[in-house]
Amino acid sequence: MSEEGLDPVEVGRRLRIARETADVTQAHAAASIDVARTTLVAMEKGQRAVRTAELLPLAKLYATSVNALLRRESVYVDLVPRFRKLPACKEEASDEAVRVLETLVQAEVELENLLGVVRPRNYPPQRPLMPGDVRVQAENDATELRHKLGLGLAPVHDVTSLLELDLGIRVYVRRLDARVSGLFAYDEQVGACMLLNANHRRERRAQSAAHELGHFVSSRQAPEVLYRDGQENSREERYANAFARAFLTPARTVMQRFRDVTQGASRLTRRHVILLAHAFGVSREAMVRRLEELGLTKRGTWDWFEGNGGITNEQAKQVLGDTAAMNPPIDMKSPTTLRLSLLAAEAWRQELLSEGQLARLLRLDRIQLREILDGVEVEGGDADGAPKLPH
Amino acid sequence: MERQSCLTDRAVPVVADTSVLINLNATKCAETILDALPNPFLVVSEVILELKSGVQTGRGDAAAVDARHASGQVQIVQLGGTGMQYFSSLVSGPVAQTLDDGEAATIAYALEMKPYAIPLIDERKANRICAARFAGLVTGSTVDLLVQDDVWAALGCVRLADAVFNALHDGRMRVLPHHLKWVVALIGPERARQCRSLPRSVR
Repeated sequence: MSEEGLDPVEVGRRLRIARETADVTQAHAAASIDVARTTLVAMEKGQRAVRTAELLPLAKLYATSVNALLRRESVYVDLVPRFRKLPACKEEASDEAVRVLETLVQAEVELENLLGVVRPRNYPPQRPLMPGDVRVQAENDATELRHKLGLGLAPVHDVTSLLELDLGIRVYVRRLDARVSGLFAYDEQVGACMLLNANHRRERRAQSAAHELGHFVSSRQAPEVLYRDGQENSREERYANAFARAFLTPARTVMQRFRDVTQGASRLTRRHVILLAHAFGVSREAMVRRLEELGLTKRGTWDWFEGNGGITNEQAKQVLGDTAAMNPPIDMKSPTTLRLSLLAAEAWRQELLSEGQLARLLRLDRIQLREILDGVEVEGGDADGAPKLPH
Repeated sequence: MERQSCLTDRAVPVVADTSVLINLNATKCAETILDALPNPFLVVSEVILELKSGVQTGRGDAAAVDARHASGQVQIVQLGGTGMQYFSSLVSGPVAQTLDDGEAATIAYALEMKPYAIPLIDERKANRICAARFAGLVTGSTVDLLVQDDVWAALGCVRLADAVFNALHDGRMRVLPHHLKWVVALIGPERARQCRSLPRSVR
């Protein structure tokens, strides 16, 4: 039976992406439905109609559903296959992170489309890498973007919200393997998206986000995985790291704050570092390395601190007080984001998607989904007495 | 309080969707319920597949259905040619008119057996689609199963109230509007307040 209502080429494209995401070869897929590999290729090109009896085993093999392959509004983005082509992305940890990102992005875009929600994009122009020292270019580009965003030289205290609200980048914070700091991908259909590791401290996440922002500015077409202990082995990486430093800790502001904080002192103390790192919302290590880079302290200062007991959280608590020094892990027990939960609940309330469709879309089991729907006020009816919005 | 079930014919097979199986398991007395139920209890293979995807999150629903299949309380069935055509029409097209595979297969199998089977599905959208597209198809829900005469007699009022409360509280069972009043009356307002899956207006 031909699948009425959907272009066979689109069905084929979805089948190919689903197969590649599931890491299944064409030969294996073809064997599972007892056809030649060339027939499967023709199906994926939209040249041969796919029967429902063939779609059922294929959907099972690809860990999806026939409905997800055939409902008109499904969103398919080939993030997993794209990341898999990266030489550094062979590890299981990053593969799982990419799947998380793909699920979140596809679900969010489909829900937005269904509900008519538009996410405005305010992307800065791309600044491809130029010949010469990329660190100098990164400083300039970061300053330019700061001005565009009206930040001037002030510290950025919530870079994640800035990326989401001011630039319109999709940012997700989820628990990932500790080795992965973040992911970045860009796709014309869904826009720019990032995934940050909720298991990392807030300061590290800010640096990861700013690093990925650097990739977005310089080379957005290439997906990227940032590892916690990643090496600076390319110009792109050097640029992204330098961009992050310049964006979060602008040279002039660091110099001014450094002067204010160390006035009258003859040595750089732990207290100075704690105050400066707190002011810029970056890690103590990142702060000291920036001071080294700007020539405000000699090279090797961080190594000296490390070799002499480091700078502990207890010391930070003594300087900043309990509240300011506290950096509790954010609650990422929920498998979705708050925005995604709200969109899902609204789609369910409007009967656009059934419980089964939503569970599949968000890759949740039914009870996880019900918990989310119950957590959001989905009744919506007049019985709630909740104020109505004017639109 | 008035108890109403669509399962008045003891011979008609029922086809249970994923949502119903999860609720049934959450009652903590599924075995007693299925023992008492005179109707053949069918589950399509697409639903089993979906339940198995919950295994990775630690849910025991797939294993519970497997056990009941082994004991003969549950029959696992496959779509035939006619069912496959209904299934195809329920999974493809505009999203608002489609359902996921398990839900669609449950309805499709019941349609294939029409007029001799009742799909059990606790899903407003699925019920809306059935009402609009398949006139004459009777659909039921978990509550219909729980208040069926023989199940009611086997459990008694107190155990039934506990079973419904467990399904609501642990399984977060959805209750279709026409059963709400009766459900709240059965479990009492105190326990109803603890059930987040009940609409706020009746809690």
